[in-house]
Amino acid sequence: MRRYLGRKLLIYGLTFFVAVTVNWMIPRFMPGDPVSSMLSRANVAQPAAVEAMRAHYTAMFGFDLPLWRQYLNFWGALLQGDLGISIWLFPTPVSDVIVRAVPYTLGLLIPSILLSWFAGNRFGAFAARRKWLDNTVLPFGYVLTATPYMWLAILLAWALGIVAGVFPVAGAYGFDLRPSWSWTFIGSLAQHWFLPFASLFLVAFGGWAIGMRNMIIYELEADYVNYLRALGAPARLVRRYAFRNAILPQVTGLALQLGVLVAGALVTEIVFSYPGLGHLILQAIQNQDFFLLQGTFLFIVIGVLIANFVIDVAYVLVDPRTRTGMGGAA
Amino acid sequence: MRNEALHFALRNRKLVVGTVVILVFLVAGLVGPLMFDYGPNEYVGPPMAPPSGEFWLGTTTFGQDVFAQFLYGLRATFLVGALGGVLAAAVGMVVGFVAGYRGGWIDELLNMLTNIVLVLPALVVLLIVNAYLGVRSIGVQALFIGLTSWPWAARAIRAQTFSLRSREFVDLARLSGVRTPKIILREIAPNMSSYLFLTFILLFGSAILIAASLDFIGLGPTDSVSLGLMLNNAARWSALQLGLWWWFIPPGAGITAIVGALYVMNVGLDEVFNPKLREM
Amino acid sequence: MRSRSRFLIPVLAAGLLSVACSGGGGSSTPTGPAAGAAGGGAAAPANAGGGAFPRDETLYTSGTQWGPPANWNPLREWDYATGTKGLVYETLFMYDPNTDKFSPWLAESGEWTGDLEYTLKLRKDVTWSDGKPFTADDVIFTFELGKMETVPYHPLWDWLKSAEKADDHTITFTFTTANYQEWANHLYSRAIVPKHLWEGRSEDEVMNGTNEKPVGTGPYAYQSHDQDRMVWVKRDGWWATKALGKEVKPKYIVDIVNSSNEVAMGLLLQKGLDLSNNFLPGIANLVKGSFGIKTFYDQPPYMLSANTTWMWFNTAKKPMDDKQFRKAVAYSIDTKKIVEGVYGNLVKASDPTGLLPQWDKYIDKNVTSTLGFSYNPDKARQLLADAGYKDRDGDGLVESPSGAKISLKLIVPAGWTDWMEAARVISSSAKAAGIDIEADFPDYNALVDVRNQGKFDLVLNNDKQLSNTPWSYYDYLFRLPVQKLQSTTNYGRYENKRAWELTQQLDRVKPEDVEGMKKITSELQKIQLEDMPVVPLWYNGLWSQTTDSTWKNWPTSAANTPKYPPTVWRNWLEMGGTLMLTELQPASGG
Repeated sequence: MRRYLGRKLLIYGLTFFVAVTVNWMIPRFMPGDPVSSMLSRANVAQPAAVEAMRAHYTAMFGFDLPLWRQYLNFWGALLQGDLGISIWLFPTPVSDVIVRAVPYTLGLLIPSILLSWFAGNRFGAFAARRKWLDNTVLPFGYVLTATPYMWLAILLAWALGIVAGVFPVAGAYGFDLRPSWSWTFIGSLAQHWFLPFASLFLVAFGGWAIGMRNMIIYELEADYVNYLRALGAPARLVRRYAFRNAILPQVTGLALQLGVLVAGALVTEIVFSYPGLGHLILQAIQNQDFFLLQGTFLFIVIGVLIANFVIDVAYVLVDPRTRTGMGGAA
Repeated sequence: MRNEALHFALRNRKLVVGTVVILVFLVAGLVGPLMFDYGPNEYVGPPMAPPSGEFWLGTTTFGQDVFAQFLYGLRATFLVGALGGVLAAAVGMVVGFVAGYRGGWIDELLNMLTNIVLVLPALVVLLIVNAYLGVRSIGVQALFIGLTSWPWAARAIRAQTFSLRSREFVDLARLSGVRTPKIILREIAPNMSSYLFLTFILLFGSAILIAASLDFIGLGPTDSVSLGLMLNNAARWSALQLGLWWWFIPPGAGITAIVGALYVMNVGLDEVFNPKLREM
Repeated sequence: MRSRSRFLIPVLAAGLLSVACSGGGGSSTPTGPAAGAAGGGAAAPANAGGGAFPRDETLYTSGTQWGPPANWNPLREWDYATGTKGLVYETLFMYDPNTDKFSPWLAESGEWTGDLEYTLKLRKDVTWSDGKPFTADDVIFTFELGKMETVPYHPLWDWLKSAEKADDHTITFTFTTANYQEWANHLYSRAIVPKHLWEGRSEDEVMNGTNEKPVGTGPYAYQSHDQDRMVWVKRDGWWATKALGKEVKPKYIVDIVNSSNEVAMGLLLQKGLDLSNNFLPGIANLVKGSFGIKTFYDQPPYMLSANTTWMWFNTAKKPMDDKQFRKAVAYSIDTKKIVEGVYGNLVKASDPTGLLPQWDKYIDKNVTSTLGFSYNPDKARQLLADAGYKDRDGDGLVESPSGAKISLKLIVPAGWTDWMEAARVISSSAKAAGIDIEADFPDYNALVDVRNQGKFDLVLNNDKQLSNTPWSYYDYLFRLPVQKLQSTTNYGRYENKRAWELTQQLDRVKPEDVEGMKKITSELQKIQLEDMPVVPLWYNGLWSQTTDSTWKNWPTSAANTPKYPPTVWRNWLEMGGTLMLTELQPASGG
């Protein structure tokens, strides 16, 4: 088990290294110069003043150093938690901007991932081999899992937000409120949270339900099930065994799907202008703020790596086979 | 054996429905645009007109024909799915076969690579790449999607290859001095062709979804129309607030139908190839 | 498994709430309510516990701030939090572009007391929000900040010699060159900062400091801010109440950070916004319908004009170095299709001179009637043929007289959807006239690079805004010398010494001397239209949509309403935005 987790940690470490390097490299190959675009947005009338400001910012951002030096400095700064300064929100540090947005993204992601996983698996297991459910509800599951996140979000925002007027379609809480521990505020928070949550939950739910349903069908055809049946075991017991075996690939599936789920959360936030990381990414792209984009990227990568590790640990706990030290293709 | 598969294929409702849906959209995308004597971005009608006999899906805020855009968009969607899917499948197959068949340190190395790319969230990587390098054509978009979405396929193929490589017929080929690439192509790949096809279908679907997300964020190609770009434009030009439902419902429904049909097809095929799964 | 999932749900729900609260609260605490520091009687932040702003006392605005408020530094004129200049820091004069009138604001009066000497008298009863008196020292200090190289108005000191204090409320400015037009612009553009708080700040602090506790002379004080909003609260003791009998009406101003224009439209429809300064495509339909949304005009173009979109030719490249070719392009562009098709009549087609409607008096109609251009593909073809541009290979597109293929790119930043559409229209109408112009959408950074280095063919730009003087437009068009990087003016690298000389002369005409200005602008217009270094296309609107549900008496074109620019955009409050706030009335009762 220690070997298994150690191996995983090594891979995550390498991944992080690759991510950081890619992150550092790409901007250096892009066309255009961030300083001049920032200055042109500054809209200063006099060329002389612009030149003075350019020199100032170039020195500040370190574009005038040799590349290897910039790379080392990048790591050095990173290890101190310094992700640079945002150009869009100059002079706010990127890490501050991200820290403010993270709670909203986590608030959407964690409940929608966990709830859809639990609910989807239970529902899929329940529907498997129950013909009427399999034929009526599961096709709906296919539609859900094939739906682009942003389209479901748009539909929900349009139907329940704009046409019906039941839910707000922008922001994290009412613009007439300030954060406080009052019921009005909590209500407003929940109201703004619901639609983005629902669209994430629904799409993911469809996927898990179908995955589980297919797994259970595989399991119910397995030899041990036939054996149990032959022994006259009650159907409920058989299904419970099948479920236990089918849940393992679903745990691995959760790790594999994390990237997709995070991506879904990002586009959903964009539709609802929910002030999380997705919203931040969009703004960074639109404002060509590459310090912010890089910071957000690294942050998401770290988050996904941590989540992967948590799932690995969970997998070891759930699956007795990994405890005995196999390092294979889990 | 072939006939038996065909027999079950034709009887498998999932497979038939999925294939029909895909074919209908494919034909619509290929033939449909020929119906119009104007391009998808031309201003041909009154602005913001609801669906009518003249413009079946209404017009955009500029007076572009939504139906024409939809049909042209289908082309781009299929193209990016096919290119991205093929590329991802190709990379996945090469990595998977080589790693699974050769084993040893090559396997270790490729496995490491696979795991690294697997853990990186693809869309986020694509965001960075697209934002900086400015992806402005469908081909480049498909290229990047293909290069980031192969790992799970590689992993699955590696596992399959692993189990096949110790079978007698492979041993036999190896003993008679057949070279590795040939063994993989002649002996291993054909024995998992159905599996490879299923993998490709899933990659196809996920490439379409990723492309749609990128287009929606505004990092799509600028030289064409795609369903994702239609969604992006509709959202940007306040179609929701102005109640132009005919602008944002069709493209999303199109993506959902295509990807959904691919998934259903996948399950149907699985049942055809794997008799145990057939519905009783 | 079952018991575990049941346990998780409430835990998650609680976690989400605590996370959101600490996130939201945490971001507003560190900056702290500066209103508390305002000893001069700022209103205490009301109901800090309850958290809500009373709807009938609050003005909701949007359309200025495209990112969380990050600084309250009035010198950062491009990204300070909405209202920093205007609501907190004030200017010496106000300028009303609709009437072309200056009115004294922090200054009591000012006049040229010699050819190179300007004397400024200040109001005596003005105090900073911390209670300290406002004096000549503050004004001199502010102008002298410009001696720092990175301060945007540093070039002023190329022709300003000194600012000397005559007494506590009188200042004498001495110049080496009297650029009257530019000086008039400085008089209403420079936000005056308090010397007693800014003294001793390093250059870096002055330009890059966030200035978290803004202390100004204006009617509002900092209340709070968050990622998605900036909140100002009215303060007591604003000088203009006593001196001018003016009072701003909203107690709170909440400026909402834009995430996108369509979100603003949604909020406006739900009456969550009182004033939206966003570009809202399709708003014409809503203005005509019964949604309670108003614009300055109730018919096209709906908005006042704020700036001109120009198409620059790179005159250093062939065939754009040929004025006949440039003219042909000008005649080939179907501007009407852009105005109607792309913008739904929210913008107005430009005059051939490009001067905004507010500057109409400086347009020489004799010049424009003979030299002006309009959409006319036949004339474009004629011009091309006359100058030797012919279609030799039969592809419907002309080649240059030497036979070289012409294939030009018009660049517009990717993601600027309205401009991208406009560029497509320009491309197709130019092609119809036989000129191969292709629309191309590089990233903003890349575009800025090639534009500044002069490596483009054609580019759209609208950097220059309405101001007190058409000089600012001509400076933008004709400025010389052309440098290696042209980062703010004359992107086309158009070299015309005579035009630049005239532009400098224009700067030295007194603003009151309209006739003198017209004589020069007429000559400039002749050069501009004969040489066509740039094609003015359309006037962008001063985007402004209002609702009457909470506040009424918004500026409109109708009789008996104020005529100030209805906006809180940066650098517009001193052009009348603040006065608009004093004219508002509560919808109920008032």
